Amino acid sequence: MIKIKNLDFRYEDELILKNMNLKLKDGCYTAIIGANGSGKTTLAKHLNALLMPTKGSVIVDDIDTKKDQFNARKKVGFVFQNPEDQLVYSIVEEDIAFGLENLGMKTKEMKTKVNEMIKELNIEYLAKKNVNMLSAGQKQLTALAGILVMNPKYIVFDEPTTLLDNKNKANIMKIIKKLNKTSKIGIILVTNLLNDIKYADNVVVMSDGKIIFNDKKYKLNNKILKKAGLDA
Amino acid sequence: MLKKLTFGQYAHKDSIMHKLDPRIKIFAVVLLSTMAFLLETYYKFAIFSLFVLVLIIISQINFSSLIRNLRPFFFIFAFILLMYIFFSRNQLDQGIRTIWKFVLFIIIASILTFTTTITSMVTAIEKLTAPLKLIKFNPRTIALLIALTIRFVPALFLYADRIKDARLARLWSLKNPKHIKLLFLPLLDRIFKSASTLSDAMVSRGYTEKRISYFNIIRLKYYDYISFTVLLAFIFLILLIQK
Repeated sequence: MIKIKNLDFRYEDELILKNMNLKLKDGCYTAIIGANGSGKTTLAKHLNALLMPTKGSVIVDDIDTKKDQFNARKKVGFVFQNPEDQLVYSIVEEDIAFGLENLGMKTKEMKTKVNEMIKELNIEYLAKKNVNMLSAGQKQLTALAGILVMNPKYIVFDEPTTLLDNKNKANIMKIIKKLNKTSKIGIILVTNLLNDIKYADNVVVMSDGKIIFNDKKYKLNNKILKKAGLDA
Repeated sequence: MLKKLTFGQYAHKDSIMHKLDPRIKIFAVVLLSTMAFLLETYYKFAIFSLFVLVLIIISQINFSSLIRNLRPFFFIFAFILLMYIFFSRNQLDQGIRTIWKFVLFIIIASILTFTTTITSMVTAIEKLTAPLKLIKFNPRTIALLIALTIRFVPALFLYADRIKDARLARLWSLKNPKHIKLLFLPLLDRIFKSASTLSDAMVSRGYTEKRISYFNIIRLKYYDYISFTVLLAFIFLILLIQK
């Protein structure tokens, strides 16, 4: 379980996240939704220990992100909005292996794992391709493979469909759903699109650095969406 | 045009050049580039160019990709040539040789990047710069810095192209020097944002300065020794030629 306790995050003089409390259960599918500037990406970055709380704590399965970032990051993968900026190496299979190299896995085991992942996502035809030659959807799949291969318990998706066309968007959303239902990976989906939350079980609505709703999806109503600036 | 730039782009092929140890290829680039700049006579230029042509053929590199790599430098070549025409006409052949040297240098560097993946390059640079640990330089950082530069050069041109298109759509003119800053400022902004996201992405995937395992293990094989011997023999041959 991920526990966020009394979290404050200050950037320069501005308080971005204000006294936030949240629990994300194992195998959950939670959507964090909010308008631009509501603090949802800032919150998401705390889950992967990319940002540290100014006050309060983020505990990932008993690991305090302030004390042990490496092991917290092993548990929580992070898929960024723009796949272009998150691919490190130029060849697909090599980029997928980047995280495994950092984990210190043996070469033979690493090659097996990378091949398994490539097969699982049906991207065998991309394995030897240069990442600069891929489409946005293919880049996002490569980025996802690079995270999945590290076998995380939770994955944070930060607006993963923003730069994709409808076909790729639907494909990514289906993969995310499958990861949650079949592999029991906890999904935290950060988005500002109401369409993206259709597979989520729980929804967290953020506004001005605060959580204004945290419950089952079916309890979400127009009043809350309006308060969060998400009404059409 | 910029969208088609392939500089620094690995192309997967099943050639002997692709199989060579990247350390040998890096040594070869250093030696051949030095040699290219020492060439003086047209006779030596011809032999050297023929050797480079053989390297291109055995690397199975697409000639059109090579030409695309050279195209952004045409302006510089034209500038050098014009300088010689206007200020030193009696040494025009010197200008031609200088341009030829640059062309050879770019092609040699392209052969390396076309046939070597970034991870192999990173591993090779890490191994070659390992002695720098003694003066507290981290080889992995140096290697990754070079690798990321190669990885992001095409992306950089792509961003520049997008910004240029967006500006042109608003009746911007490339001929107006004041407008040039309108290209570079957003480009710089984009570069810093990309660098920030990339560093976050690397950290989130457990990147540390110390590395303990490699996806691509590099080991010298018999054909690496043969290739290096051929290379040295060729360099001695060029040095021995008197013409």
